[in-house]
Amino acid sequence: MDLTKEQKIRLYTNLVRVRKLDETMVKALLTGKISTFFHSGEGQEAVGVGACSFLREDDYLFPSHRGHAISKTLIKGLPARIILAEHYGRITGCCDGVSGFHTCDMKLGIPGMSGTLGGHFPLAVGMGLAAQLRGKKQVVMVIEGEGTYARGTFHESMIMAATWKLPNLFIVENNQIMGNTPVKIIHPKDDFADLGFGYGVPAKVVDGQDVFAVHKEVQTAIDRARADEGPSLIECKTYRIQPHAVGLPDTLLGRPRTQEEIEVWRKRDPIKLAQKRLLKEGVLTQVDIEKIDGGAANEMEEADRLAWADPMPTDPKEILKKALYAE
Amino acid sequence: MREVRFIQAINEALLEEMKRDETVFIFGECVRGGTFPHTNGLFEKFGKDRVLDTSISENAIAGAAVGAALAGYRPIAELMFSDFFLIAGDEICNKAAKWRFTHGMKLKMPIVYMASTGGYIRSDSEHSQSVESLIMHTPGLRIAIPTTPYDAKGLLKTAIRDDDPVVYLYHKLLLTKKGEIPDEEYTIPFGLADVKKEGKDVTVVAVGFMVDLSLGVANKLQERGISVEVIDPRTLEPFDIDTIVTSVKKTKRVVIVDEDTLRCGVTGEIGMQIMEKAFDYLDAPIQRVAAANCPIPAGWYLEEHVLPQPPDIAAAILKVLGKDMDISDMKKEKVGFDAVKAFGDLGITKVKQN
Ligand SMILES: Cc1ncc(C[n+]2csc(CCOP(=O)(O)OP(=O)(O)O)c2C)c(N)n1
Repeated sequence: MDLTKEQKIRLYTNLVRVRKLDETMVKALLTGKISTFFHSGEGQEAVGVGACSFLREDDYLFPSHRGHAISKTLIKGLPARIILAEHYGRITGCCDGVSGFHTCDMKLGIPGMSGTLGGHFPLAVGMGLAAQLRGKKQVVMVIEGEGTYARGTFHESMIMAATWKLPNLFIVENNQIMGNTPVKIIHPKDDFADLGFGYGVPAKVVDGQDVFAVHKEVQTAIDRARADEGPSLIECKTYRIQPHAVGLPDTLLGRPRTQEEIEVWRKRDPIKLAQKRLLKEGVLTQVDIEKIDGGAANEMEEADRLAWADPMPTDPKEILKKALYAE
Repeated sequence: MREVRFIQAINEALLEEMKRDETVFIFGECVRGGTFPHTNGLFEKFGKDRVLDTSISENAIAGAAVGAALAGYRPIAELMFSDFFLIAGDEICNKAAKWRFTHGMKLKMPIVYMASTGGYIRSDSEHSQSVESLIMHTPGLRIAIPTTPYDAKGLLKTAIRDDDPVVYLYHKLLLTKKGEIPDEEYTIPFGLADVKKEGKDVTVVAVGFMVDLSLGVANKLQERGISVEVIDPRTLEPFDIDTIVTSVKKTKRVVIVDEDTLRCGVTGEIGMQIMEKAFDYLDAPIQRVAAANCPIPAGWYLEEHVLPQPPDIAAAILKVLGKDMDISDMKKEKVGFDAVKAFGDLGITKVKQN
């Protein structure tokens, strides 16, 4: 099904919103407002935006640490102020400010973020099973960096999801780098999509810089899942522009990363690509683009101002008293 | 003697042992250069056969170490964060720890499992844990936790030469610590505690990074006329109870400090061993300081209420002495882990911001 003009504009606007929030968070880290760390997802926005822009509110989503999940969670409906408030340790944050950077909002179908990578896969299978039992055609989406697909949990989860034809979507956000290691030296094949073959799970490779291409492929998989046809695997090829975490030495294999590769990928910036296409199609004008840009900038500025002004817990010890068990 | 950082001491031990013994090799995530740059430079010296980067595969890393050991090699498996020992529980706690006995003592397991440990880094509950109680609990695993560059190098060399599986934990906040090491070759035997500071009024047994916090407190109390002896067991298995008993005979009072959870933590085990071996010498009930029974939160404003703090250590020392004193100058540890500060000046890599 072709996207409507409104849908295309929504995808484009979401790319810009995510970028502005990413920039806001980089700044917040560098100025000490974020006391933990930030794994910028600059340049990778099209994966989350393309995959999540048209999810149902009751679909489930397990996002990874990259960009602290904003290209997925902001798009699924979590307000920027809530995301920032969590990073600032404010009680208005999505985890009441106790988590530093994790995301949780069960009303939006976002159950959490694993500290150990690969922790999501089996959990997602359990949610897939619950979704199947409930019969409301919800889907469960996991989006992880390519390095995480080496975990054994992925294998066990694929067997289960494929056998039971669960409504699971596994999305590989392949940014080519695992920590400080180029993934090509730690993985035997070029395409992670090939992993689907052994499980009989349909798998596709898609240009992760092209938000429209990502959306199209993911939508096909969502439709399959809602039709009880089982899980799918989609690999989105993208690239990490920033260091693994902002402020860390930007190295590969112990040496500074060369600028050339970064520049090549900057030329295929997902926002620029989408802009070019929508201008050409006449969906957007230069004036629209500036408006969208300004709107997103205002949204994030206000979110940042409000989140920062939100209160910290007055008595941290009270929080810890409730830390362990349900009442 | 010369002054080096903790991280360089680890690096030197790896270099020397890999040079000495061709069956030693290292593998894990980002070992050619990465998160904790203690393995930097090894690849350039020993090449791709002996310095291997892996993907995110803790089970395969820990298990392949067992396999390589069975086949006659001496693998060093780098697991990055000690929290991930929980992922590789089967390989470490069932295979590496138990297979020698399971198979009639016919097998050797010369493995080193290395990882960073501990909190105070404003990370999260899955990157900040201390796992010494889990490891000490498991029969068949040795465990070394160095607190100075000297110990870091000497204990790692011993760990690599040991024929049993050794868990070697380096605290994130100690990596940039400076200290003296001799120019000539040395090793430190396992099971030999080190008295880090002599004193006569109270014995503090501290594990890992808690040694540093305890020394800070001890020095402040010294000015106030309280003489604290600080003992660093250095290895929890084997465990040198004798040095502790000797100290208890002198001071008659004990405080045990550990970063792991209080409940079922190593403080309980150490305390009970002291009860069994030195009860008659004690003049007061043993006090212990450890993490609250709670996951470790991100962000200092909560973390400081969960992880042990200098004021907690000072209060325990005063309690065991039956003294009351103003300790409001003892500050909480809110340091966080500033990677830029930590690694930027090591000359290992240049910090660059795109
Ligand atoms: C089980 C586990 N192993 C290792 C880590 C440490 N770690 C955090 S991020 C990261 C790299 C992740 O690479 P990838 O999955 O490709 O995602 P990216 O960071 O590239 O987005 C690693 C190794 C972890 N959090 N969990």
